[in-house]
Amino acid sequence: MTGKGIRIEGLRKRYGSGDTAVDALKGVDMQVSPGEVIGLVGPSGSGKSTLLKCLGAVIEPSGGRMILGDEVIYDDGWKVTDLRALRRDKIGFIFQAPYLIPFLDVTDNVALLPMLAGIPNAEARSRAVELFKSLDVEHRAKAMPSQLSGGEQQRVAIARGLVNRPPVILADEPTAPLDSERALAVIRILNDMAHKLETAIIVVTHDEKIIPTFKRIYHIRDGVTYEEAGEGKEFK
Amino acid sequence: MIKRFPIQGRTLALVVVLVPLLALFIYVALRSGPLAPVPVTVTAVEDRAISPALFGIGTIEARYTYKIGPTFAGRIKRLDAQVGDTVTAGQVLGEMDPVDLNERIQGQEAALKRAQALLSEALARQAYAQKQSQRYEQLLEVRAISEETVATKKHDLQVAEAGLNAAREELARVQADREALIVQRKNLKLVAPVDGLVTARDADPGTTIVAGQAVVELIDPKSLWVNVRFDQIRAHGLAADLPATIVLRSQTVELPQGRVLRVEPLADAVTEETLAKVVFDRLPEPLPPVGELAEVTVALPALPAAPVIPNAAVQQRNGGLGVWQMHNGNLRFTPVILGAADLDGNVQVRQGLQAGDQVIVFSAKSLSARNRITIVDRIPGVKP
Amino acid sequence: MISLAGRDIMHAWGKFVFTGVGLGLLIGITLSMAGIYRGMVDDGKVLLDNSGADLWVVQKDTLGPYAESSSIYDDTWRSIRTMPGVARAANVTYLTMQVRQGERDVRAMVTGIMAGESVAPGWPPYLVAGRQITRGHYEAIADLASGFKLGDRLQIRRNHYTVVGLTRRMVSSGGDPMIFIPLKDAQEAQFLKDNDAIRQQRRRTAENPAFNRPQVPDLLDAVIASQSTNPYVNAVLVRIDSGHAAEKVAESIRRWKRLTVYTRAQMEEILIGKLIATSARQIAMFLVILSVVSAAIVAFIIYTLTLGKIREIAVLKLIGTKNRTIVGLIMQQSIALGLIGFVVGKITATLLMAPIFPKYVLLEPMDSIIGFIAVVVICILASIIAIQAALKVDPAEAIGG
Repeated sequence: MTGKGIRIEGLRKRYGSGDTAVDALKGVDMQVSPGEVIGLVGPSGSGKSTLLKCLGAVIEPSGGRMILGDEVIYDDGWKVTDLRALRRDKIGFIFQAPYLIPFLDVTDNVALLPMLAGIPNAEARSRAVELFKSLDVEHRAKAMPSQLSGGEQQRVAIARGLVNRPPVILADEPTAPLDSERALAVIRILNDMAHKLETAIIVVTHDEKIIPTFKRIYHIRDGVTYEEAGEGKEFK
Repeated sequence: MIKRFPIQGRTLALVVVLVPLLALFIYVALRSGPLAPVPVTVTAVEDRAISPALFGIGTIEARYTYKIGPTFAGRIKRLDAQVGDTVTAGQVLGEMDPVDLNERIQGQEAALKRAQALLSEALARQAYAQKQSQRYEQLLEVRAISEETVATKKHDLQVAEAGLNAAREELARVQADREALIVQRKNLKLVAPVDGLVTARDADPGTTIVAGQAVVELIDPKSLWVNVRFDQIRAHGLAADLPATIVLRSQTVELPQGRVLRVEPLADAVTEETLAKVVFDRLPEPLPPVGELAEVTVALPALPAAPVIPNAAVQQRNGGLGVWQMHNGNLRFTPVILGAADLDGNVQVRQGLQAGDQVIVFSAKSLSARNRITIVDRIPGVKP
Repeated sequence: MISLAGRDIMHAWGKFVFTGVGLGLLIGITLSMAGIYRGMVDDGKVLLDNSGADLWVVQKDTLGPYAESSSIYDDTWRSIRTMPGVARAANVTYLTMQVRQGERDVRAMVTGIMAGESVAPGWPPYLVAGRQITRGHYEAIADLASGFKLGDRLQIRRNHYTVVGLTRRMVSSGGDPMIFIPLKDAQEAQFLKDNDAIRQQRRRTAENPAFNRPQVPDLLDAVIASQSTNPYVNAVLVRIDSGHAAEKVAESIRRWKRLTVYTRAQMEEILIGKLIATSARQIAMFLVILSVVSAAIVAFIIYTLTLGKIREIAVLKLIGTKNRTIVGLIMQQSIALGLIGFVVGKITATLLMAPIFPKYVLLEPMDSIIGFIAVVVICILASIIAIQAALKVDPAEAIGG
């Protein structure tokens, strides 16, 4: 596999030690190509959040390999020194709730990420506005987060995940608060963006409305994943 | 808080609050405390004639006070004078108790008679002795007796003559003693030596007095004067015949006038005061009591016109006196030599200033050449 | 890069300014306390400056005339005047007492000044109204702080005095206004009691057979007269010729006149070191307490503000914000709070507290600068608790469940 995309092999995660040790992940294999949007489905307690946290370079796995693009970022130990820079530059996050910074207007909420990476303010803001156009919230560019509706906030959050054009985007229940029309709209946007930016997008979800749209789905149970081909239904 | 205005509005609101706050802050830092300019008032030096005066306080005293009392110890028999009585010269004020004086005079008279009797006896003895002496001298001429016998009789004569002298002198002495007692009895009366006012009655009848103790005190009310004390430093120019204004403690409406009678040759070295006596031109009615406090202002002759400044402008610096002046926007200390001053706070300048110069009179703080000043009509804090 | 701290403050500016004003009042009190201490020290300095003296000659082995009572004979000044190096010497008396005017009573330090041509040591060196004393009796110069005006008639003991001049900032070391009257009147005021007491004393003297001898009629009068005079003064103020060293002149007076002599430096040490020492300690303690309270308040406020932002801080950490930036956010907010507090505090202290406080409050620029630095340091330190809490936040919390 060359170029972008993410791949993990035999990822393990153990919490605690000795008698009380819990193996949340027992050897997970996963691979997502650039431009792909895959689903990650599993019940609670299955290790879903743990896997997401490992993918997001937030917690340290106990073993295995992680390859981002063509860079090995984990091989039984972090190969990257600056995890924060890794998160900033290479991983995009879309949370369950928008989690916008309340004291910044929505443009700056999104532009903050490129600014942190050193991009000049004006260019960062114009990137944000560009994304707003695609996400149909351009008319709210100057508003404060508290003035937006839930759906608008979610779209701004999506823009934040995309603005740095990271090679991989982790989306955690992005459609949970949305109705089916909105949910499908979000999935469509994600697919568009994935295609445009050649980003690999992993969507953690148990929303029945959108599961049929995935071409590939990973099920996770008891710390192990099983790949399954999805329906790949087309959506409006 | 949900902000309804856009960013520009919020910035504007913040600016509206913060900028005045900062301005106030800067104002407070510069205008108060040690950095602020000092308010001062100025006045112009005038050419003026001033009338200096001297101020002293004193007490009303009587020029002559007479203390009348007996010349020997005795008891007071009667006292007719009361305090406040006006008496005339020669008036009997009271009498001392003779006690045993009459008896002693009698005794002296008896002694006088005895002395006279003794004199007679001495006279008789002398006559006899003389006759005897003559007789024996005749007998000696006829050699009837011895010379020794004549000598004895002559001796007897001499003794008798001496005895006679003694008796004569003794009589004189007793007479003198008797007369002394009689004079003393005359002296029992306490007599006013001059016209005057009784001011004190120091003892009542029945009291025993020693010699020299005063029983009654008299003053001559027309001789009231003020015994005034002037600080030596401020008594320059005090001389006799200068006009004076007298303010009595009890009378502040009418101010009696007077003049300086004399400046005492002996000053008070302990209190460092010059003493003077000031007499009234006309005694006030009613007479002020002796001992009342009085304030006396003696007017000195007016001086010719000279540059005059208020004494509040005079300050001391580096061991010399001078005034502060504004000169080309800077403060400058001008040394001056001062002349006479009057009681209203004006002082002449002999050297250092001329009429028309501006001097700084009042200042809110002690001045130094480094201060910045601002000229005002009245120092803040002083009510008109 | 935008300023996160600035944006946060602008977003909640009302809360911030309100808290800042509250903190500012506390800082204002702290600055005023420092000002009160400086005012007390200045009272002492001003007293020494205004006396116009280089040396103070007092009773042997006393700390007088301000810190302890001292009595020397009033002719001592003459022998001091003739010593080499002495330019001027003047008697002075001090007595703190109640001065009446009509129905009003004012506590003042009555100062007796020697008669002279002009500005002798002990005289008020400058006036704000009226004139200097010209008559040897019954005139007075009062300080503005006493509330008296030109022309007022004051009653001191048994005499009445007319106010002919006014001064400013002539106060005793305790802050009581000074009233200058001629020395002889002051000596009388120091000593003479009221009429009842004088009658009692005369009666007692008259009943004493040692003083009331009939053979010596004037003895009683002489004794009563000697009891009614006061030949003492509290100190002699000396001004030194230029060219002579103060300590040398002081030493020669000490040796030959066997009196205690203090130079200006020694008087300052007595006034400030001994008289004010207790109050200084009290004020220092207050300053420390207020600083601690201010620090605690700032710490509490910043901590609360930070706790309210925990989720945002987690998100910021997750999306890659440096720890340095988050620490800066908190510390900048703390310092901004301190700045607002300082500005409000300085204004409150100068315009509100200094004029209404009964003692003299002296706010020096240096104190304000030191206060400013202290406020900034306190704010930085107070934000440490909040910073620690922020640093402990786990970015994984942003990813729930």
